[in-house]
Amino acid sequence: MTTRRWQRWIPAAVIPVVVVGGALALPLRAGAEVPLPERSPQEVLALLAESDVDTFSGTVEQTSDLGLPSLPSLSGEEMGLGAGLEVLTADHEVRVYADGPDRFRLQVLDERGERQLVLNGAEAWTYDFRENEAMRVTLPDGAKERIESRLNELKSEQTMTPSAIAERALAAIDPSTEVTTRDNVRVAGRSAYELVLSPRYEDTLVGSVAIAVDAETGMPLRASITARGETAPAASVAFTRLSLDAPEESLFTFSPPAGAAVTEKTLSERTPSGDSAGVEARSGEHHVTHEEPTVVGSGWSAVAALPAGSVPAEVSSNPLLLEATTPVAGGRALSTALFSVLLTDAGGAFAGAVPVEQLQAAAAAR
Amino acid sequence: MPARPITGALLASELALQFRRRRTWAMLLALAAVPVLVAVAVRVSSGPPSGRGPVFLDRVASNGLFVAIAGLSLSIPLFLPLTVGVVSGDSIAGEASQGTLRYLLIAPAGRVRVLLVKYAASVAFCLAAVFVSALAGVLIGALLFPIGPVTLISGTEISPPAALGRLALVAAYVSVSLLGFAAIGLFISTLTDVPVGAMAAAVVLSITAQVLDSLPQLEWLHPWLFTHHWLGFIDLLREPVSWDSFGDNALVQACYVVVFGALAYGRFLTRDVLS
Repeated sequence: MTTRRWQRWIPAAVIPVVVVGGALALPLRAGAEVPLPERSPQEVLALLAESDVDTFSGTVEQTSDLGLPSLPSLSGEEMGLGAGLEVLTADHEVRVYADGPDRFRLQVLDERGERQLVLNGAEAWTYDFRENEAMRVTLPDGAKERIESRLNELKSEQTMTPSAIAERALAAIDPSTEVTTRDNVRVAGRSAYELVLSPRYEDTLVGSVAIAVDAETGMPLRASITARGETAPAASVAFTRLSLDAPEESLFTFSPPAGAAVTEKTLSERTPSGDSAGVEARSGEHHVTHEEPTVVGSGWSAVAALPAGSVPAEVSSNPLLLEATTPVAGGRALSTALFSVLLTDAGGAFAGAVPVEQLQAAAAAR
Repeated sequence: MPARPITGALLASELALQFRRRRTWAMLLALAAVPVLVAVAVRVSSGPPSGRGPVFLDRVASNGLFVAIAGLSLSIPLFLPLTVGVVSGDSIAGEASQGTLRYLLIAPAGRVRVLLVKYAASVAFCLAAVFVSALAGVLIGALLFPIGPVTLISGTEISPPAALGRLALVAAYVSVSLLGFAAIGLFISTLTDVPVGAMAAAVVLSITAQVLDSLPQLEWLHPWLFTHHWLGFIDLLREPVSWDSFGDNALVQACYVVVFGALAYGRFLTRDVLS
């Protein structure tokens, strides 16, 4: 009797083991070898330079693990500084649709909403579902034509072949950077070469930058930055799905839904690009002040510096910023796996892919 | 081979028993009350500021069709698991405690068939619960608010019939979301003769899973939790529809159904039915 009871448990025990085993084994398949014709780093770079894919639809995943505290107050609703920090601390899934150089749609898929950027010729829309706010940005009259003629001019001037561009680029970065390739990878179901840029000196926090280059089209499929001494990337942007077919026409026309608050904005010639409601609010310094930063040093250990007094007091006393930064000698510092920011007591700001001590040294040298 | 008719008859009698119970009706009524409460609350107040509260709650006042979705998203964390936990937790343990399990097994049905029929009845309840909740939402929304083109979260407007289609998709998603949990409830139900214990254990498990899902330190565990994709139906309201979470959710639920179905099978086939 006991044997029979024991035997009857067999299917009940086997099935869970198979399911759990399968679930654990599935990700291991990703490590399988990807056969591709051999190419040197320079050839891969040329492939990248040759790439002219501007029609595709895909899903991009952005992840960051910078070692920043994930701040509870960052719910994604904050604008400005909060949105900037949100981009750095949270992971995002973005759908991208592109049809030619001037038609583009970007959807940031939030857990409980969505943010849009629709670009169609001289007109651009941003829309945030949760706030129900839309903004229409128009390029000034004639700007489009001027951009196009300038692009054509550049194209006609540019007589260099992709391989020449690759050669020059390699020569330019060679003193500071070693360019190699590593094992081929599969990204978004496509075979790709992986180009690795590693700094030659150890004075930076960056360990390596890897770019996966699609073997067929030369399109960059994944970019990831790994901090020095780490194996898992601290930040990466990668396609999880990619189709080179033209996206549906209707995706590029946007009309604000009824009840949305709509603001209009016409870009003047001065502003380089539209503020896309936090979608691209990335560089902290530019938000704080419009003063141009000066760059100290060169290569990977370059430090961007803003002179004393350029950071307004209301920014440096922002509770969010106080929560994210720690006090150090000479000011407050934000230290992540990949970069550091130092806000000096005098209202200056220093940032770079270097340890905080180097920023302090740069601040002291002023 | 008389197997088919017997299964059919067994299922029919089980469903009839299920939907004739006053408890089932009371739970369905309670689920229908959620969207009604939401609609009435929004109607008498000015509504929450935009961007706060459950998904779509701030849009309810402008379009009645959002009531159904707001109601569903409010029911998902607690009310739906509560009612499904009661039904699936009771399925075997209830019969055992009433002493009717013996008679059920005397019929030439076999234990596997009884188990399958019990699970099918739980699944039928899941479908009914989601359907009733969605239907109540649509009706009360149409009654209290204007019905018009619906703004998807990508900012695209779709016509009311298309919106009803999306709502049906959402209802299907939510129903699928509950399948794994119903299988867990069934397994717990085979462990005990005390139905209340099984119900409570199932409901506590669903809440525990949701708590674990909210802890960022356990991020590696999240994709494996049966509650992880519960609110992912929002991907069906994008333009174009993002099917990823539907697929992920269905896969996770299927794994839970298979694993806990197998465990329930092992337990139910080896257990001594004394009452």
